[in-house]
Amino acid sequence: MTINATSDRKITVLLVDDHPMVQDGLTACLSYYDDIQVVAACTNGKDALDKALSLKPDVILMDVSMPIMNGIDATEIITDKIPDTKILIFSMHESSEFVTSSIQAGASGYISKDTTSEEVYFAIKTIAEGKTHFSSSIAMSLIENPIRPENEKLTTREQVILTWIARGLSSKEVARKLNISYRTVEAHRRNIRTKLNIESLAELVRYAVNHGLVDP
Amino acid sequence: MNVNFRMRLMLIAVLQVVLTSLVTYYFVTKEYRDLSSESLITLEKFLIDQKKQELKNYTALAKSSVNHLYSQSIPDNTAIKSVVAQIFDGLLYNGDDGYFFVYDGNGTNISHPKEPFRIGKNYWELEDESGEKIIQILLNNAKNGGGFYRYPWLKPSLKASSDKLGYSIYLEKWDWMIGTGVYLDDVYAQLSQLQNEMDRHTSKTKQIILIVAISSIFMIFLFGLIVNLNQKKKTDLKINQLGQRIITLQENERRHFSRELHDGIVQILISIKYSLEATGRYIGTANIQKPEQLNKAQSNLNTAIQEIRRISHHLHPRILDELGLTAALEALASEFTERTAVNIHIVKPAARKLLPDNINTTLYRVVQEALTNIEKHAKATEVAITFEFQNNWLTLNISDNGCGFNQELKYEQPPQGIGLRNLAERVEYHSGRFTVTSDTGGTNIQVMIPKSSFANHFNKTSFEAQK
Repeated sequence: MTINATSDRKITVLLVDDHPMVQDGLTACLSYYDDIQVVAACTNGKDALDKALSLKPDVILMDVSMPIMNGIDATEIITDKIPDTKILIFSMHESSEFVTSSIQAGASGYISKDTTSEEVYFAIKTIAEGKTHFSSSIAMSLIENPIRPENEKLTTREQVILTWIARGLSSKEVARKLNISYRTVEAHRRNIRTKLNIESLAELVRYAVNHGLVDP
Repeated sequence: MNVNFRMRLMLIAVLQVVLTSLVTYYFVTKEYRDLSSESLITLEKFLIDQKKQELKNYTALAKSSVNHLYSQSIPDNTAIKSVVAQIFDGLLYNGDDGYFFVYDGNGTNISHPKEPFRIGKNYWELEDESGEKIIQILLNNAKNGGGFYRYPWLKPSLKASSDKLGYSIYLEKWDWMIGTGVYLDDVYAQLSQLQNEMDRHTSKTKQIILIVAISSIFMIFLFGLIVNLNQKKKTDLKINQLGQRIITLQENERRHFSRELHDGIVQILISIKYSLEATGRYIGTANIQKPEQLNKAQSNLNTAIQEIRRISHHLHPRILDELGLTAALEALASEFTERTAVNIHIVKPAARKLLPDNINTTLYRVVQEALTNIEKHAKATEVAITFEFQNNWLTLNISDNGCGFNQELKYEQPPQGIGLRNLAERVEYHSGRFTVTSDTGGTNIQVMIPKSSFANHFNKTSFEAQK
């Protein structure tokens, strides 16, 4: 048993999983490691958002399938608002679509729930240092289906911003609406333009209308 | 309402119409017949009576016209007799048909203006077709003070035999029978004309009754048909709705079970897995060898988790609910390519989560079914799936370069899978269009869903959650 203390401070972890038994099992496993501390646990993305904003944990261990707001959408908002908090997706899903969606949302790592607690520990440590970590099976699917920006889907956050823009809001107004910085909104707008391959505002609006995001 | 019951009701109505018509027809014709025969008899009697009175008058006139000769003469004055006979010969009425004839008491003809060859010949034994001795009866009637007798005789104007009503009187002094008569054929003609008139009325009534009956029956059938068609339309609609409800229910159940397995049971198993790991770690801290049974339990638990996940995925792909249709289609496509080595090219929109769950599921099932068919029959090497939003329609196309399939078989229920007909109904349920075209160059399945079926779905769900 190796316990590596790389710093004096313990890594604070927020557990987000809608199943209390999983939380308990995981907390039990992680309690064997001295350098990480589970500071709170919650059961959906919305709660996770509130807890993350108040506790500002180093790492969030985030499930994907959850009621109210799923882990990927929550990840996107949290990384928008507190970029210092790293998010490790912790899911039963192994399809590459989940992985790419998580990466786009801003997650730093993705591990399968099927893994050992050792890997969980290792992944938490790794992403806390600002690196990324993916389970080996997931890394394989990423290699097979590399992320190509021009072929990428909009994230939920980007789609929400697109909807606001199509409704006639400026970036400043969107920033105020979503309680994020103007620069973040602008970054999102750039991403949206790249992904949709659209330059003009009129075309953005038409795209939103065509896809049923806003009424014509 | 039961179809059999309705048929029976209609049959009863038709039967009633037929029965009523028959009864009406019977009574009306009977009434007519009674009425006509009654009036015919009355008319005949009237006409005959008229004729009889005429005959009596004529005869009386004839008699009085010779009375001055007769009353003064002695019984055997042949000269006067011959004068009188000549007078009678000259007494004509009714054109050619009214004349007087004279016979003596022995039946010898004395005078007959129309048939002079009879004069001097004896007709005592003259019989009609039924064996009646005509002259004897006439003589008898005359001797009895005048009487009527009906017998067949040649009608001069007709030059044919006709019924004749004869009247004869007796000149006793000379032993002469003087008679005259009217032919009854014109009376009969009058009567038969009346009869015809009445028959025509009867048949007209018959026609009216027939028309009324037939049109009533027709109306009943028409009404029945309309009711039937209406009912059928309603029933079809209900069956369709019921079918959709069953499908929706089934999909909901499958989604529910899938979720229960994946997010419930599997999560519990995962928690057990971590508990077992914690146990192992705990034992490890006590410097005890980790028991083999624990390893075995952990490995079996992993197998169980994999198995349940497989079942859950089979019931309903969770990715559809979590990431939306495009991600689910990509996952489906990469599984397909892995299994069959057939390439799938997907064109998809960058926007996501645009569709409600039920449309997502329907479109997913369409692609799933199409890929199953391609794998089983098409022998295709390339598959293209395009998924676009344009001009108020969402269009999903799945085309392959395979061998196509028989058009007639395309809506048959396949031994495996959902079947295209079912999918078509599901698409129509979302007000959509479903078309399949297939030839030797490949198959194309197209689904179109109007924007009204999904507009603002994203706003109502994810957008609201992020507000």
